[in-house]
Amino acid sequence: MSDISMRVNAGRLAGLKGRTVRLPCKVLRLADDTALVEASDGGQVEVQRKNVDVTATYIEVVGSVVSATSIKALTAIPLDSEGEINMKLVNDTIRLSFESRFDKVFLRYTDSI
Amino acid sequence: MSQLSSGICRRLNEAPQEEIEQLASGHTVQLLSVKKVSPTTNTTTPTDRYRIIISDGVHFIQAMLATQLNDLVTAGEINKNTVVVIDRLACNFVQDKRLIIVLDLHVVSRDEEKIGAPTAPPAVQEVTAPADAQAAPSFVASPAASSSTVQAKQQQTRTGPSTGPSGRSGKSVYPIEGLSPYQNNWTIKARVTQKSDIRTWSNQRGEGKLFNVTLMDETGEIRATAFNTVVDDLYDKFEEGKVYYISKARVNLAKKKFSNIQNDYELSLEKNTEVEECLETTGVPMMKYSFVPLSSLEELQKDHTCDVIGIVKEVGPIGEITSKASNKTIPKRDLTIVDKSQYSVRLTLWGKQAEQFTTDDLPVVAFKGVKVGDFGGRSLSMVSTSIMSIAPDIEEAHLLRGWYDGIGSGESFQSHSSALSGASFGGFNRNEMRHLSDVKESQLGMSDKPEVFCCRATIAHIKSENISYPACPTQDCNKKVVDVGDGWKCEKCDKTFERPEYRYIMSMAVADWSAQAWFQGFNEAGLVVFGKTADEVHEIKENNEAEYNALMAQSTGVTFNFSCRAKQDTYNDQTRVRYGISKIIPLDYHEEAKCLVELLKSSWAQ
Repeated sequence: MSDISMRVNAGRLAGLKGRTVRLPCKVLRLADDTALVEASDGGQVEVQRKNVDVTATYIEVVGSVVSATSIKALTAIPLDSEGEINMKLVNDTIRLSFESRFDKVFLRYTDSI
Repeated sequence: MSQLSSGICRRLNEAPQEEIEQLASGHTVQLLSVKKVSPTTNTTTPTDRYRIIISDGVHFIQAMLATQLNDLVTAGEINKNTVVVIDRLACNFVQDKRLIIVLDLHVVSRDEEKIGAPTAPPAVQEVTAPADAQAAPSFVASPAASSSTVQAKQQQTRTGPSTGPSGRSGKSVYPIEGLSPYQNNWTIKARVTQKSDIRTWSNQRGEGKLFNVTLMDETGEIRATAFNTVVDDLYDKFEEGKVYYISKARVNLAKKKFSNIQNDYELSLEKNTEVEECLETTGVPMMKYSFVPLSSLEELQKDHTCDVIGIVKEVGPIGEITSKASNKTIPKRDLTIVDKSQYSVRLTLWGKQAEQFTTDDLPVVAFKGVKVGDFGGRSLSMVSTSIMSIAPDIEEAHLLRGWYDGIGSGESFQSHSSALSGASFGGFNRNEMRHLSDVKESQLGMSDKPEVFCCRATIAHIKSENISYPACPTQDCNKKVVDVGDGWKCEKCDKTFERPEYRYIMSMAVADWSAQAWFQGFNEAGLVVFGKTADEVHEIKENNEAEYNALMAQSTGVTFNFSCRAKQDTYNDQTRVRYGISKIIPLDYHEEAKCLVELLKSSWAQ
């Protein structure tokens, strides 16, 4: 696998099994080794976080896709702003970034997506 | 013996308006009697009129002979028992009854015996226009009828004017809404809501004089204009506020350029137009307004007209302006009006109204059809069609009075006249944003006229030497004050102050991805950039240089949305374009991001 990680939402996970992705999300529930998060399109994903600290409400999980609803975290980046993050805007951006007209703008996975 | 068209009399008696005019032609009837009736006083010429009784052998009905056919009677062509063929007839409705008028006929035979044994036709429930109100005691058509007349306007045939008692014989009242060029035997009953002065004009085609009135009834308004000789006849007849019956004016397409009355048509008053004062004014409404609160004046476009109502808080003195077009001096007067929306706005009166406006107290004044201007933000101006009524007896006026007497007088109002130097409304228009290289290349501001533009740029550098100046603390006087030893003196106000109020005057280098430019900012800009008053910043500069430098550094590198004016300036023989900041707005990233998404979705980005 190359070192490219694209930003995704819950809907995109199914097509990217095994890939490393970035998932901006809101933490819903925190447990010892896992977390339940809500992605920018509203879909809920389970995060396996053996040694990864989650310190904020809004985080970006970088990890590999296990299944359409589960991701194995490598790290979690806190994203908090002074309150809420406009997840709709985030989702719009993610959606737009996959459009073919922006192929030159964003790094893509080298194998077909 | 001639064959009469039996059944025609009954049909004429029963058919609704639209059918009648098509029905009648070509039918043979016998005239049972021809009688002269005394001329009514309202006809312009005292002609005789003949009432005839027409029979179809089965029934008889009454009718009038059109005056153009009078000769036939006087010449003896038609008289009792003459059999004729009706070529054309019309039907008017008067006081619940229908009146047939025979407009054209030709004689078939004379001197016959009475044919048949005609009787009076069966009584019929008078049905005139569809959906008409049942004998509603209103002079003009009820809204249901007028809506059907509106539909009839689309077709060429018209539904009849309303029934209901009208004050005069021979005339039934038509709704203003139903007027069209296709029908011209109407009478309207309307109030004169506005009468203009007599105006003269002269252009290449000639010269003349005119005046106009605005007429209103329950169904709508319409403008009427009289030219040249008609002006002399009718100008004195019309009085503002009074109700008149008007008929025989020409209905033309409205010239929207000259009027803002909502009607596709307008009336031309001619020599044969009849105008009669009406003494029964019930049913004709007083002024109709749709008031706009002063706070929403910003949303209206310049040159739009609107109605407003407010308390006159200030009455300016009479001034005079010389019209560039005609080189005449016109008196003008400014009023400041306020309303419940807590906004105040300037309204200008012209001419006679300016001269005559005197009030001692603070009256409620309603204005209809005033023009919105953008002088100093937003302003209002009377035009020839505007109507001003002082202390009108309407609900909004009473509400305003109550509000003002209660709390209004103590309130402070937001003014629509911006103190900023910008004469135009310096709003930030994201759609018209330019980048700096574009601004420079298109030489904005190089012509004599100042031009405005919007952009987004980052502050690259602030000239920190001259950041503010001592200004006169008097409200709105921002002149520089001079230190005269024991105080600071303002030349304009001729007053000395212990301490001046510092105001920002900044020179900033701003840059975006394309280029860099120098912008000049004033007090408002400084407040946004530094978040502190000029007084505070001046203090810091005097006392703590390190803190001052830190403040400068902190304020650079910040991005803002700018609304600027580009103007040419000559400075020691050098002519340069200077960009002044009218508005500086910090970025709301949510807003901006949303706009970017929209832009990406739009066709530009495909």
